[in-house]
Amino acid sequence: MEKQLILPGALAATSPRRMDGCYVDDGKTFVSVVSLKAGDKIIPLKGHYIPRIGDYIIGIISEERFSGYEVDINAPFPSSISARDIRETFQVGDVVSAKVRMVDEVHTAQLVEPRKLYAGRLIEIESVKVPRIIGRNGSMLALIKEYTGSDIFVGKNGRIYTKNGDIALSVMALLKISSEAHTSGLTDRIKELLEVESKKSPQNNAAKPAVQERPTEQY
Amino acid sequence: MAEEETAAMASGKVPKKLIQNGIRNDGRTPADLRNLKITVGVLKKASGSALIEWGKNRILAGVYGPREVFPKHQMNPNKAIINCRYAMVPFSSLEEHGRFGPNRRAIEIGKVGKHVFENAILTEQFPKTMIDINIDVLQSDGGTRVAGIVAASLALVDAGIPMRDIPSGVSVGKVDGTLVADLDKTEDNLGQSDMPVIFSPRTWDILLFQMDGMLTKKEIMDGIDLCKVATQKVHEVQVAALEAKYGAAAAGDDDSQEESGA
Repeated sequence: MEKQLILPGALAATSPRRMDGCYVDDGKTFVSVVSLKAGDKIIPLKGHYIPRIGDYIIGIISEERFSGYEVDINAPFPSSISARDIRETFQVGDVVSAKVRMVDEVHTAQLVEPRKLYAGRLIEIESVKVPRIIGRNGSMLALIKEYTGSDIFVGKNGRIYTKNGDIALSVMALLKISSEAHTSGLTDRIKELLEVESKKSPQNNAAKPAVQERPTEQY
Repeated sequence: MAEEETAAMASGKVPKKLIQNGIRNDGRTPADLRNLKITVGVLKKASGSALIEWGKNRILAGVYGPREVFPKHQMNPNKAIINCRYAMVPFSSLEEHGRFGPNRRAIEIGKVGKHVFENAILTEQFPKTMIDINIDVLQSDGGTRVAGIVAASLALVDAGIPMRDIPSGVSVGKVDGTLVADLDKTEDNLGQSDMPVIFSPRTWDILLFQMDGMLTKKEIMDGIDLCKVATQKVHEVQVAALEAKYGAAAAGDDDSQEESGA
């Protein structure tokens, strides 16, 4: 489909519609962030992660309290895990996957089902590019997993945890998707990259997973 | 002002008349703008940034946030608060500007800038947060407040902060009895009046309107019309700057992406 770059203030629809990255004024819908327009659809190119109920996200424990933990979820809003919901303990800096149970009117999230992630690599991309990482019906993610043998957990908030297999190659592919998101023929280029790179280093990392005490964000 | 004028005249840099035969000091016609170039995304650590080169002006704008409010008592549970800081770096100009630290003028420009962006940003989408806008004038030659706001608007778009529109504008003024657009420093200092205006180009709502010197009611109305035409040109440059950074994404049709759960 023909795509077109549209900027804040541009008309998105002549009727009031509730869409991501848009606002309604005078009965019409306008774009509020840099977006692509494809037919009726508006694809935001920029944006901040706003937690929604049911999202699976990756957080970093930022503070311990009597009542639980404060978690950094790559959003402009605070979120927490209640001590009542969990049995295990965490330390500040631990990386956890969790599910958003509740979000209040000021976007403060309550997280449940935290699982500590370890022995892998954490990267951070823009949350608006997460659908691109996953691909249609998960095709892009499946492609990377197939070539690298990695386990990849993608959080809705733009954090991605990669474990096992060829971590370096997975990260390379993920960052390439992130930087070239929304360009044409991306799947083919990623496939090519994976093919070339995986031949260079056959099975090199499969036997020795990179163990890290504390995941560092690398770009 | 009088001292400046005599000093400028004595140095021989300024002709006695600023407009001769309808041509301004620097060769422009009254409606012409100075050369304008904007680059988006020049700072790596900022959420969004822009560098504007407008005539001899060089202004860097950086946006940080939305992020946790500090100091905490300023927090607003209904919307994001905007902090706008305007500063002239010490080497930006002649000695009367750019001494270290904020002065009366810098605080004023920060304040009016804040009001522009409070009306442009959809602040209610980010309750309990703050957005910091930094405008640093590296080299100044008149019209830095509009140039700074024009740059900061793009920095905000670059940061992905939702906005109603991209604020845009230019200053107009009266020099040698003629209404002119985009005054430079000599015209600003030696002219009769200077009127910076920032619009929201979608609706032509006025977000900032200030005036130095005197203009009649008719001159103001004519000035605003002149300003709208000039603002249109500035807005085109803003759009081009954003397309230069984000246009690649729209280059072709891609394997469209459907959301599926993580």
